[in-house]
Amino acid sequence: MPQQLIKVRPTKIELVKLKRRLSLAQRVQKIVKDRLSILTMEFLQTARETVEAEKELLDGLSQAYRALSIAAGYHGYIALEKELIATEADLEIAAGLRNIAGVRVPSFELIGDGKSMRGYNLADTSSWLDHAAQLFEKCLKATVELAELQRVLELLGMEINRTKRITNALEYVVIPSLQATINYLNMKFEERDREEKARLKRVKVLVARR
Amino acid sequence: MPSELSYQKMLQECLRGELRIVNAGLPRSQKPLSALLQEEYPHVQCNDSSTHFFKRKELEYLATMISSDEQEALLLPMLIELGENQAEVAIICQTEVEEELISRILNMSVTAKQGRITIYKPQLALLRKMLKTTTQYLFSPKIVA
Repeated sequence: MPQQLIKVRPTKIELVKLKRRLSLAQRVQKIVKDRLSILTMEFLQTARETVEAEKELLDGLSQAYRALSIAAGYHGYIALEKELIATEADLEIAAGLRNIAGVRVPSFELIGDGKSMRGYNLADTSSWLDHAAQLFEKCLKATVELAELQRVLELLGMEINRTKRITNALEYVVIPSLQATINYLNMKFEERDREEKARLKRVKVLVARR
Repeated sequence: MPSELSYQKMLQECLRGELRIVNAGLPRSQKPLSALLQEEYPHVQCNDSSTHFFKRKELEYLATMISSDEQEALLLPMLIELGENQAEVAIICQTEVEEELISRILNMSVTAKQGRITIYKPQLALLRKMLKTTTQYLFSPKIVA
């Protein structure tokens, strides 16, 4: 593909400027490529973890609902609802940001082991309900983890797209056009030198004839 | 339509911006593990004034592997330096605690040379899986400068 030349005046100063710009672009390309490889590695790892977390959550929820239906069968729906109505509690999640190679991603962590949220009367309920509650607590942790992973995946994906565009622009447009312009200027200067030499030789011959 | 000159200027700015953002999230100062365990919400301040949070679970995991004296010496987040060689990375270590920790996590012996432990990319993936918030990437000043 022929590269578009940058419109510059054919002077040595411009050549130096172009060379500087090329070296900057090559350095940036190296960094951006490194960053892209790291982001891709993190993305793939997060994707794997997301799939695992999702599977774990689905399995956990299926087990938890099964345990809850057993507990409901044991206690009866009305009695169970009466017990559970008083158990509503606020969740405490520590939310912050962390940095992955220049990308700020969220970090969530469930505070406490969740047992404090069990507000039902232990004397009036059975171990079936305890088992169901334990399974739901596990699901809660998995939900928080999955929320974080999905958001990280989304943000990393967007950043990879952006970085890829920059890498492609540098690799296929910026650097080739700078190199083509530098080559063009070098050829122009060489041509000028050759013309100058030919002119001097001609002058020498003319002087010798006199 | 922007002129050729303004386009070039914009490009230069864009490239400089890329250089700025890669290391903007680095911590202003590292904190010892023992101090972070005492904090309610363990975090460090970054160069771009943002905060980097640590997961308590990870800190506790690290604390189980080393003694209390070593917890004082271990500075977090650990920095993973990306150098000119794309196949390997270096973990910057100020004490021998990092060496011991990395050896245990990777289940292989590692040695520090000139304050750096060199590991390969597959090992890096394993390390990052275990220590997501307690490690951070550093783009080497050699390639950034």
